[in-house]
Amino acid sequence: MKLILTLFLFLNISSASVVDEYLNTLAKEAKIENPSFSGFDLKRGEEIFTSKHIGKKGKEVSCVSCHGDDLSKASKNYFTAKEIEPLSPKANPKRFSEVKTIEKWLRRNFNDVYNREGTIQEKGDVVTYIINK
Amino acid sequence: MKPLILLAALASVVLAASYDKKGVAVATDKLYVKECGSCHFAYQPGLLPSNSWQKMMSNLENHFGSDASLAKEDFDYISKYLNKNSAEKFMNYKRSSRVVNSLREGEIPDSISKTPYMIEKHKDIRENLITQEEVKGIFNCTACHTTVQKGIYSERDIMIPNYGRWED
Repeated sequence: MKLILTLFLFLNISSASVVDEYLNTLAKEAKIENPSFSGFDLKRGEEIFTSKHIGKKGKEVSCVSCHGDDLSKASKNYFTAKEIEPLSPKANPKRFSEVKTIEKWLRRNFNDVYNREGTIQEKGDVVTYIINK
Repeated sequence: MKPLILLAALASVVLAASYDKKGVAVATDKLYVKECGSCHFAYQPGLLPSNSWQKMMSNLENHFGSDASLAKEDFDYISKYLNKNSAEKFMNYKRSSRVVNSLREGEIPDSISKTPYMIEKHKDIRENLITQEEVKGIFNCTACHTTVQKGIYSERDIMIPNYGRWED
C-alpha cells in the first residue's frame, strides 16, 4: 500500500513537474526575448482563452468554443462534435504531462483560433491559466 | 459460344470472390487512433486509396480548415501506416472495394465523403438530418453508424439522431 501511495505521489509530482519545467523554459526564453519580462499572468491567460476571434475557418471562435466554460468537464469539438476530455490537469491528470503534446496543441489551437502561432508570453500566460483553473 | 459461357462463368466467380469480408478493416494502430481520433472519428484507412491519404497528409496545416500538423516522426509513421492499409490493398473488404471501384480514372478524392460511393450512399438523406447539431456533417460517421468501431457500416445498424432507424 505504501509503495502504491509513494508511486502515486511520484507520478503526480512528475506530471506537475513536466508543466512547471515547460513554463520555466518558456520564462527563460521570454527573458531573452524581452528583458523587461516579469512572469506569466493568469488574468492575461484567461483573456487569451476566453476572447473570441475570427479563426482559421473564418468563424468567430474562442478556446471555449471547443473546451467549454468548465475545464473540469468534458466538452465537444465545435466543428466535429467529437468529445474532448477535460482540459484541467486537476480533473484529468493526463493533461500537461508531456511537453511534445503541450507544444502540439498550443501550435494547432493558436492557429485555429488566432490564425497565427502564440508568442512565448501568450503561451506561458494561457498555460498558467489552464493549469490553475 | 463456349468461350463466352466460360467467360461469363469466370466473371461471376471473380465478382463473387471480389470481397469476402463485409465492412472495412478495423483501425488498430494506437498512434493513428490517438493522433487522428482526438478531433474526429479515426476513420479506417481502408476507406480511401493511398493517393488520397497522401494528398491529405501533404496539407495537415490546413486540414479541412484546422491545423492538424504533427511532429515529424509521427507524421512519417502515420503516413506509412495509411499507405500500408489503404483501400486498394484491402479489396477483399466490401467497403474498401466499393470505394475504390466508384472512382473514375485518375480521381483522387480529398475526403471519404467526397468519394462517389459515399455520395451515392448518402444522397437520399434529408439535408437537415445531416446538418443537425448531433451530426454536423457526413464526415461524422459515428453519429449514425452505431457499429463503426467494428468497421461495420451496414444499414441495419444505422440510427439517425432525431429520426430513428434508416430504411432505404
